[in-house]
Amino acid sequence: MVDSYVYIITALLPLTAAMVVLQGNPYHALIIRGILGAVAALVYAVLGAADVALTEALVGTMLAITLYAVAVRSSLVVRLGVLQAVESQGFQAWVEGCRTVFSKHYMRLELVNYLNDEDLRQALNDKEVHAIYLPQHHTTEAVQDQALIRIPRLYEIMQAELTSPKTTLTCVTVADATEVKV
Amino acid sequence: MTIVLIAMILALAIPIYEACQDEDVWQKMLAFSSIASKTSIMILVISVLRNDWMIGVVGVLILSVGNAALMLMAHIIKRISD
Amino acid sequence: MINAISYACMGVGIVFWFWGTWPLVGHRSVLYKLHSLSVADTLGSMLIVVGLLLKIPREWPLLVLAILSLAIWNTVLGYVLAYCSSSRK
Repeated sequence: MVDSYVYIITALLPLTAAMVVLQGNPYHALIIRGILGAVAALVYAVLGAADVALTEALVGTMLAITLYAVAVRSSLVVRLGVLQAVESQGFQAWVEGCRTVFSKHYMRLELVNYLNDEDLRQALNDKEVHAIYLPQHHTTEAVQDQALIRIPRLYEIMQAELTSPKTTLTCVTVADATEVKV
Repeated sequence: MTIVLIAMILALAIPIYEACQDEDVWQKMLAFSSIASKTSIMILVISVLRNDWMIGVVGVLILSVGNAALMLMAHIIKRISD
Repeated sequence: MINAISYACMGVGIVFWFWGTWPLVGHRSVLYKLHSLSVADTLGSMLIVVGLLLKIPREWPLLVLAILSLAIWNTVLGYVLAYCSSSRK
């Protein structure tokens, strides 16, 4: 003796689940995950599992979404090491171009300042940053600025979508640190 | 009573469709808030329909506590878009 | 008699739901949709709960709590959403 509305309500659950899976943007997917949580709580309540519905609403919707939002926000970030002294026009334009390219892939760009050249390279070696930007100071105009990137996928994205003739992109491999720094 | 419930399911389908097709984050948040309150009211109606007050208590709890998640999320998304 | 009134309340509540939710589909601004949603949707939900209250008056504390939390939360949530969505630069 199952009523007809139970079938309709249950059909909403795979529908919203498919919406979560097919969503590309992580933040939109988070919101739809909330919708899925609400619908799932409804389905569990309809099928008579009140305790499961309560858990789904409190843990599955509230806690999981908050934790996921923090995780997505802190993981989708590119840290770019730069020198404090760099203020040139070309650099600003390049950074803006990077921001646009990264925002297409739902990433943020974060600039990290360093005092001198050695610190910058050391930071890349220590994996403190994902990429560094090396300006060429005391050379002729023909020499281009350089960006060193240590993550191959990031290099592919930037190489394919970033159109800046002024800056050469180089992918470098950084050996794993043998000792753990305190 | 069943007809009431089916009408409610139809009303629930509108914000789900909206959340599916709109690209703006805030429109999706609106759809989410609408769905959250609608589902908890539906849980209440079902509890009255079946005369089962265990489900009713759960519906009221979800209604009064579940909205806090929405506020948290609204603030996090605002921080992200700044 | 009371049964009829409770069904009438629920029917009007569902009409309010449709009224409040229908503008979500169009291409209007967020604040316009938020207005119709918070006013008509909350009123509709409260009417439905009042209908349930008339049907089963013996469980009134729970349903009154539901009405109160609906009124307070949806108002506060409307303000929070409007503040968060309009303060973008």
